[in-house]
Amino acid sequence: MAQNSLARRGELNGWLFVAPALILLGLFMIYPILWSLWMSFQVGRGMNWSFGGFANIMRLAQDPVFLRALTNTLVFLAIQVPIMLILALLFANALNDSKLWGRALFRTAIFLPCVTSLVAYSVIFRSMFGQDGVINQMLLALHIISNPIPWLADPFWAKVVIISAITWRWTGYNMIFYLAAMQNIDRSIYEAARIDGVPAWARFWHITVPMLKPVILFTTVISTIGTLQLFDEPNLITSGGAPSDSTLTLSLYIYNLSFKFMPSFGYAATVSYVIVVLVGIISFLQFLAARDRRA
Amino acid sequence: MTPLARLGRAATYAGLILASFISVFPFFWMVVGATNTSAELLKGKTSPGGALWTNIANFWAFADMPRILFNSFFIAAVGTLLTLLVSSLAGYAFEIFRSRFRERLFALLLLMLSVPFAALMIPLFIMMANFKLINTYQAIILPGVASIFIIFYFRQATKAFPHELRDAARIDGLKEWQIFLHVYMPVMRSTYAAATIIVFMANWNNYLWPLIVLQTNDMKTITLTVATLISAYTPDWGVVMVGATVATLPTLVIFFLLQRRFVEGMLGAVK
Amino acid sequence: MKLSLTRHRALGIAMAGISWLAVSSAMAVEITVWCWDPNFNGATMKEAGARYTAAHPDVTFNIVDFAKADLEQKLQAQLASGTTDGLPDIVLIEDYGAQKYLQSFPGSFEALNGAVDYSAFAPYKVELATVNGQTYSLPFDSGVTGYFYRSDLLSAAGYGAADLENITWDKLIEIGKAVKEKTGGTLLPIDPNDAGWLRIMMQSAGSWYFNADGSPNIVGNPVLKASVETYQRILAAGISKPVAGWTEYTGSFTSGDTLSTFTGVWMVGTIKANADQSGKWGIAPLPALDGVAGATNASNLGGSSWYVLSSSAEKAEAVDFLASVWGKDVDFYQKILIGQGALGSLLAAREGDAYKASDDFFGGAPVWQNFSDWLAKIPGVNYGIFTNEADAAVVAQIPAITSGGNVDEIIAAIDAQVRQQIQ
Repeated sequence: MAQNSLARRGELNGWLFVAPALILLGLFMIYPILWSLWMSFQVGRGMNWSFGGFANIMRLAQDPVFLRALTNTLVFLAIQVPIMLILALLFANALNDSKLWGRALFRTAIFLPCVTSLVAYSVIFRSMFGQDGVINQMLLALHIISNPIPWLADPFWAKVVIISAITWRWTGYNMIFYLAAMQNIDRSIYEAARIDGVPAWARFWHITVPMLKPVILFTTVISTIGTLQLFDEPNLITSGGAPSDSTLTLSLYIYNLSFKFMPSFGYAATVSYVIVVLVGIISFLQFLAARDRRA
Repeated sequence: MTPLARLGRAATYAGLILASFISVFPFFWMVVGATNTSAELLKGKTSPGGALWTNIANFWAFADMPRILFNSFFIAAVGTLLTLLVSSLAGYAFEIFRSRFRERLFALLLLMLSVPFAALMIPLFIMMANFKLINTYQAIILPGVASIFIIFYFRQATKAFPHELRDAARIDGLKEWQIFLHVYMPVMRSTYAAATIIVFMANWNNYLWPLIVLQTNDMKTITLTVATLISAYTPDWGVVMVGATVATLPTLVIFFLLQRRFVEGMLGAVK
Repeated sequence: MKLSLTRHRALGIAMAGISWLAVSSAMAVEITVWCWDPNFNGATMKEAGARYTAAHPDVTFNIVDFAKADLEQKLQAQLASGTTDGLPDIVLIEDYGAQKYLQSFPGSFEALNGAVDYSAFAPYKVELATVNGQTYSLPFDSGVTGYFYRSDLLSAAGYGAADLENITWDKLIEIGKAVKEKTGGTLLPIDPNDAGWLRIMMQSAGSWYFNADGSPNIVGNPVLKASVETYQRILAAGISKPVAGWTEYTGSFTSGDTLSTFTGVWMVGTIKANADQSGKWGIAPLPALDGVAGATNASNLGGSSWYVLSSSAEKAEAVDFLASVWGKDVDFYQKILIGQGALGSLLAAREGDAYKASDDFFGGAPVWQNFSDWLAKIPGVNYGIFTNEADAAVVAQIPAITSGGNVDEIIAAIDAQVRQQIQ
């Protein structure tokens, strides 16, 4: 009886504590989400719209721009997220060595990019990757290339610039997650493995990586969401998906449909839910994969 | 050390030095760029030039800078304070209190995280207009205060919060809110430090939403100002780099101030 | 101390009384204007506002600058939300987007036919802001095009102003090849992510992506086809150099890396910023398309106009301000021509001194007079409401165009994307 009332009081307290957040989320998140969900079934232009059933979903299948944006987004996802997370894992592993000279310095340097201002970093990358920009100058001086690379004018290189920019900015951020998790791993496991003559790469692969599985899963899901929503970099660095839609992402397309083109909010909302469905599917697959390996 | 291990060590250092160089070089480029003229900068000049004072003067004259910096600081500071309070309270409660709905509600929150912001701007704007909040600090700050990511982060971190502390506080007769305020918050200060950096950065860098709800020059933020600078028909890149430096300095300072606690805080969140 | 405080207070009350009197005689109003380049349209608006305030001390101006894309996004979000709270009184809109705003948000903008004499402006500027016989804009800067070239470097290859007067694109390609052969110089910078060249070429022959009724005019449009073919010939001739983005583009011809460009008159300011190149530049009319009916040597790129929001509380003052300063003050147009290099579309302005002056920077040519002449000859076209969509479809095909792909297939692909996007 007493236990029960205590639990109920606990629950009441819990709801009170969550209440401010839930009220704010209801207003500023759930209401807009419901609005856009409703809008995704509306067809029409500007301020004149009407119920269109699944017309917007049918439209997706025949829309070459949507398919282009979807392909680009998935290419970014498939290339950028693994590169970034593997780099982050390798740096974290290197920095986890207490005998390493200059650990704090390296850690700070590699983490630094993620505290830059978004606009500032976009501006910097845009100026560095110009035809006569500093990157080409350096590569020419080092004789790595013999002709300047048209970074922002060529569809392939523009994608490379975007992938480099995101990787530059977020590798250190993910590294800190791994580093923090590695410091929780019991040192004695490594010591035992070392005494048994297990080489460094095997210690990394068979001890560190399995122990970090939950964090790796977490960073993968967060990075997946981030990359599927990719907007700022192609908007500011390659001026809205240039050249020739080669860096156009789903979020940019939503933005164009709402604010650049003749406004088509219903269709824009439908494209947004493609992202939500993708995040759902990919996160589910990632959870499955993580579970499988554990079994 | 075996020769192989020595080689591995050398490779590790080489990799880390290269990574650090790549990480830091753009900052160097930005600061050097602020001392050069637009033409020098575009030709890839990497040595300091003599245009720093002209660039600073032009940047200062471009807009009412004290006001713009105040706006940015005010929005970021108040936004960070409220977000930490509301979201940590919710994250704490999610972990501590049990309810039948808890896990389902939490899964729903995570799914909501995946809806792109571009899809939510129009309804948010209509709502702000109905509340008569267009062109106010509140309109910028409020939508971010209940941050799903920060709630999630605090829930994870709370898993490491020792239960004995809570039980002891209860026996001493502390009410739940007192436990949160006087026990939880001081114990979790590293978690708060890490969250401060993340939230402050998010607020300081916020671009799309302020752009929509802010209407007048006296409400603009530094992020919007730098964006205006680069969109001129002929941007002066030296001045743009001064703006970029000014926009980056505060987050850098906060990071260096909280750096030690930051790593500890992240540590708590991934336990 | 105490005394002075009392005196201050008395003074304060007296002052308050005076200002109250002033308010009751004529309501003080502040007109808010949104524009996007503080050195260009923002500066001209400041000058216009100062002139109006001099005559009407009770009207002041608040001029707000945003990045152009940002301004368009704000305006669209705000109009779409249906709330007028926070909208400015006057807003600058690029001409290509005018019909989109006027037709998707009917009732949001104020028709100015009652206050402005539109016969005083360049006809194409009036046409693009007219819906159902009502005109909504106060036409501002023109993007009348010209061919800007380094006269010193072209004359080194034996070409002078007379060789460039009213030529066709094929003639220009010939010149480019000859220059390349003689001096090794590259004639044109080309930005592969910009469809501006197509808009320029199409309008020069009075054509556009759309018919007057708004239906796509892409497959089977002879002007569009001729334009794409011309562009391919330019690329194939080896007289151009690829550049990425605005900064590289302008940097290319202002550094002498390329010898010329064809663009809007607003480029004059950028070129003249290089004072060391004074006397080394010339301006010729735009080359015309070959073998196309209605081809001319005049066209337009960009340009913008002022619009009054219907929701404005200061509507009457805003309209009166536009009509009296922007609508007829010839002296004002001389001032912004000298100050900002802004070529307005008020035809009477060309009678002013600044417009008649010759410019030593351009070898003593009457630059503004020439541009004004070409301005009056720009064929009027209906930009329609989907120019952004059509532009995006063209840009998506530029790799195919650049690599010399089949023109009919390319145009069919553009057509398909446009039709899909505008459904």
